[in-house]
Amino acid sequence: MEGKAVIVGVGESPYYKRGGAPDTEFQLACTAIRNAVADAGLTLADVHGFVSYMDRNDPVRLSAALGSGDLHFSAQTFGGGGNGAGAAVTLADAAISAGYAESVVVFRALAQGQFHRYGQAGGASRARGAGAFTAPYGMLTPAQINAMQTTRFMHDHGITQDTLAEVALASYHHAQYNPRAIRYGTPLTREDYHESRWIAEPFHLFDCCPENDGAAAIVVTSAERGRDLAKPPVAIVAGAHGLAHRDGVPAFNERNFPTAHKRLVAEQLWKRSGFGPSDIPVAQFYENFTGPVLMAICEMGFCEPGELNDFVADGNLRWPDGGLPINTSGGNLGEGYIHGFGNVLEAVRQVRGESTCQVGGAAGVDLSLSVSGPGYAPGSAVLLGKG
Amino acid sequence: MEYQVLPELTPYNRTWFTSGTLAVQHCPDCDVLQHPPEELCHQCGRTSLDTRELAPTGTVYSHTVVHYPADPRLTASVPYTVVLVALDDVPQVRVIGDLLGDPHDVAVGMPVVAEWSEHEVDGEVIRLPHWRKV
Repeated sequence: MEGKAVIVGVGESPYYKRGGAPDTEFQLACTAIRNAVADAGLTLADVHGFVSYMDRNDPVRLSAALGSGDLHFSAQTFGGGGNGAGAAVTLADAAISAGYAESVVVFRALAQGQFHRYGQAGGASRARGAGAFTAPYGMLTPAQINAMQTTRFMHDHGITQDTLAEVALASYHHAQYNPRAIRYGTPLTREDYHESRWIAEPFHLFDCCPENDGAAAIVVTSAERGRDLAKPPVAIVAGAHGLAHRDGVPAFNERNFPTAHKRLVAEQLWKRSGFGPSDIPVAQFYENFTGPVLMAICEMGFCEPGELNDFVADGNLRWPDGGLPINTSGGNLGEGYIHGFGNVLEAVRQVRGESTCQVGGAAGVDLSLSVSGPGYAPGSAVLLGKG
Repeated sequence: MEYQVLPELTPYNRTWFTSGTLAVQHCPDCDVLQHPPEELCHQCGRTSLDTRELAPTGTVYSHTVVHYPADPRLTASVPYTVVLVALDDVPQVRVIGDLLGDPHDVAVGMPVVAEWSEHEVDGEVIRLPHWRKV
């Protein structure tokens, strides 16, 4: 697979705690997109497409409000929750590689203060679809669903609570270097983690992503167009999106339960790119909750589940000394929960040499992985590199 | 736990939610069981499916003790425990339900048995399975 498309711009709105944004979600989306386009050295008139996942900010409305160019392409992925972030990037890559549009914005805006809180449920008296089998028992939220997956994963492989803690500690550690991060200036200790209240066992409060308001965007264009813009282009080396047969069956009847829905994604990503886990110096792993990150690390091939307790120990997930720094902006837990799209921007920054926890020095890394939200099917991931 | 959310009935889930048995969807042609019920057989596409009643016993495959009430109507119910039960007859079929009794007395592999509660709605009785340690 030849990466024909490149990422040339990144931008975000300020990130806020839920309810803290002075702007509406739509305004936040417009801010992020404007910033990404400016970062690329392009103008809004150069943008001819919009791609997202699970987003309610319609490109018809966006293009009118932003004064972008004629709309040539718009798309969203199906399902997956935050697992659609990488898939959205692959959609933009596909559109550009096929020639349907030259420059496309991929974005996600999410204001949980203005709209529905992901950690809340209620109001309804009847449950539909797969929810009919779970909601009557108070099985309502992503935390509870991912807790059910994580309990079994921990049981099968002897995963300790301290191993879950390592994921949260890595995100909070990295957030202390990133002034954009909501948790900048708010460190987390191992004691804080263990003493925090339970949400749904085995998840403490700090195993769970916060509910935030914000938006993040990237600009994707052709390699040719990307050659002489404001920033060095970042190649989409490979992307993958999907799931193995029956691994998305609801109500915990997935064939391979528990899974982060990454086995097929990993197989495709490494095959398409010609690279493997040992080539990856830094990775962003969408953390809705800590447990699924551990499953995703294993399914992407970085270690076997039985090796996890040792793999994450001694700060191995933390910059600058860890062997596999993850979520180097602070990620969903520390920087802000924009449904995982901030992780994609951070993967771009690691290639550019712009991260506040930069791996490999100012020149940036040659390969940078972003693995989208585990826990919901289908999965996706993108591998970025020098353009 | 006490909760007022009930399943919306469809032609495909009605037997499961009204029979007071573990009536798992079954394809008469393929003789396969599938759960949760779908609008057609995943193997052959047949749309007229029946059910097979499985024994109301199983073991806890996974669980979570819920402490945070995501719905204000659950405030008085926390902590409550939700279990994922692998049925003894067909362990590939896993059923979600709340655990009756001590919410903290739960472990993977624990044997459980189903009990049903009855809820009259719109002239019809919905019967929901719950689980209790054997």
